[in-house]
Amino acid sequence: MSRPGRDDSPDRLYTLTGGRAHATPDSPFDLVTLVVAECDPTTGMQSEHAAILRLTQQPTAVVELAAELKLPVSITKILLGDLLAAGRVSARHPRRAAVPDPDVLEQVLVGLRNL
Amino acid sequence: MTAPSLPGERPTARTLLPAPLLTAVLAALAVAGAVARAPESARVPLALGAGAGALLLTAAVAVAVHATQNARITRRRLEAVTLDAGRLLQDRARQSAEFDQERVQLTEELTHERARHAAELTQERARLTAELEEERARLTAANARLSERARRAEHERSTALSATANAAGRMQALATGMLADLRAMEERHDDEDVLADLLHLDHRTAQAGRLADSVAVLTGARSGRRWARPIAMESILRGAMGRISGYRRVRVHSACEAAVAGHAAEGVMHALAELLDNAANFSPPTAEVHVYVEEVPAGVIVSVEDSGLVMGEVQLRRAERAVSGDDAELGGLTGTRLGLAVVGRLSRKYGLTVSFRPSARGGTGVLILVPQDILVPEQLADRPQGAQTLPEVVGAGAVEGTSAGTAVRAADTVVRAPSAPAATDPSTKPDPAPDPVPTHESPDHSAATLPDDLPTGRSESRSEGRPEGRSEGLPDGLPKRRRGRALAEAEREQRERVRARAAETARTARTSGVSGSTSVSSATESTGHAKPTESAGHLRSTGSADDTPTRAIRFSSFRQAVRGTLTDQSDPATPAVETTTEVTPEASTPSHTHPTPEGDPTS
Repeated sequence: MSRPGRDDSPDRLYTLTGGRAHATPDSPFDLVTLVVAECDPTTGMQSEHAAILRLTQQPTAVVELAAELKLPVSITKILLGDLLAAGRVSARHPRRAAVPDPDVLEQVLVGLRNL
Repeated sequence: MTAPSLPGERPTARTLLPAPLLTAVLAALAVAGAVARAPESARVPLALGAGAGALLLTAAVAVAVHATQNARITRRRLEAVTLDAGRLLQDRARQSAEFDQERVQLTEELTHERARHAAELTQERARLTAELEEERARLTAANARLSERARRAEHERSTALSATANAAGRMQALATGMLADLRAMEERHDDEDVLADLLHLDHRTAQAGRLADSVAVLTGARSGRRWARPIAMESILRGAMGRISGYRRVRVHSACEAAVAGHAAEGVMHALAELLDNAANFSPPTAEVHVYVEEVPAGVIVSVEDSGLVMGEVQLRRAERAVSGDDAELGGLTGTRLGLAVVGRLSRKYGLTVSFRPSARGGTGVLILVPQDILVPEQLADRPQGAQTLPEVVGAGAVEGTSAGTAVRAADTVVRAPSAPAATDPSTKPDPAPDPVPTHESPDHSAATLPDDLPTGRSESRSEGRPEGRSEGLPDGLPKRRRGRALAEAEREQRERVRARAAETARTARTSGVSGSTSVSSATESTGHAKPTESAGHLRSTGSADDTPTRAIRFSSFRQAVRGTLTDQSDPATPAVETTTEVTPEASTPSHTHPTPEGDPTS
């Protein structure tokens, strides 16, 4: 049994999403979807929504958002789905990079080994 | 004493008259004879003299007769009186004899009676004494038995209570541990179906934990857990919602930025959870429960409005009494209605004021006043508890910053990090550091290369720095309305600060990053507004008072106190930092050395 941490939050995840655990079926979000805020946070907004809007001033991937919010990706997707439905964010998939250059990959591998 | 004279005893004319008349007649005859015999010459004088003598004689006789009769009457009366007196004396003697006799007799009777009564009394007393002894012995025995029973009951009660409290504490610990486990599992499992199940279990466990908390509160055990930092009101409300079954029906309307001090947060959350549960349970299953949060000078008012059953006058009074916490007895408890008693205990402990009234929504409204003394203004609420141990925190931040990827992303992280001492970041970010390239530094190194940030990070609460940081990284950050200040004011201030920051950035670009260190240490409490270095922004709450002209008075003293201590603590550190900075000025990588809360899962 894990010990409760000192900086746990009293928020339970289901209260963030109103009990939903499933994103809407047509949710466009996957881990690498880039999210951009379409408006500024407003007063009285749920703090996670406000945080997402602040974080996505620059295009940000869903997985990064989840990491920053310290929330599971699924919950983050639901929150993003709410914001998307309200038109506060827009989502787009990252441009498909061309097939990665094997040379680059090799250099990266070498660099990683040298670390 | 003279006896009354009887009529017959008075000398009457009839008894008086014969003797004088006889004398008069004889005297007249004698006078007439003498006159007849006397010579003519002597007749007249003789007649006169003899007549006078006769008259005198008659009068004398009359007086004598009268006196004689009077004497006789008097003597007779004297005899009668004497006789009476004798009789009376005799009577008296007789009566006194009778009295004596009577008295003797009565005395005798009295003595008899008294003796009899005394005997009876003694007997009665003896009997009563005996009975009393018997009764006393019986009562003593009963008393001993009852007190023994009471002692045993008291002992059993306290034992049961402490056992219950103990068990409740263990249940609390279990529930808390399970919640932590569930949270970890929720992080681990990406499958939405699994997540849904885990959330369901999480919800159930939270409710079970609330029940354990209730039992613990009622049995006087320690409240569940103590949060190490202030908990924002939003989290308080969500934490309360998460512990009731019908949390989906709760609608929160809150723009409150206050936070509840860590030691009281659990209690406030629990009390709110009980009241929310009441509101949700006593309203139709489809009706919503609305929660409004409002800041007032006395604290924060949370009102819970349902549209369910209207409480009658009697019920309202009973509820008010239950939540007043005046009677700490467990007597009136039933197994299913623990809520209000729990609220009463908690409100007594933390000084909450709870009142009920009919709601405009048709049901019942509950007002909870969270008093000022367990509230922490938002500026201080997000202060990380590790602010004093900045190097470690900065190190964690460095790791996180590098993992986050680009410098821009790191900057955003700094702005948003929920409990980071972000005051360090806004100051460093505008700083066009000589070496903006992200470097992987050791925590200690990065801390040493942040001369500007160390003192300010300590002397300033995080959220004061937060808008500035946002004004750099995010030109139009969310204007933060502080307590006691209008939102429009905050927005105006925000714009001013953005302009000031632009000018500051331009100027800082000319100066080196090292120059800020001296200004920070010198300007801690002085007027640092015009100074375009970081310290101006850090000391905004005091130095740049014209930026925030209408700071709420009721917090100023508190802030002063906090800032004073923090500045004092940061002062000794400043010189050492400066020296270190001069050694390695190029190494400063401000945008990556932001601290994060300890226990950060990404670090």
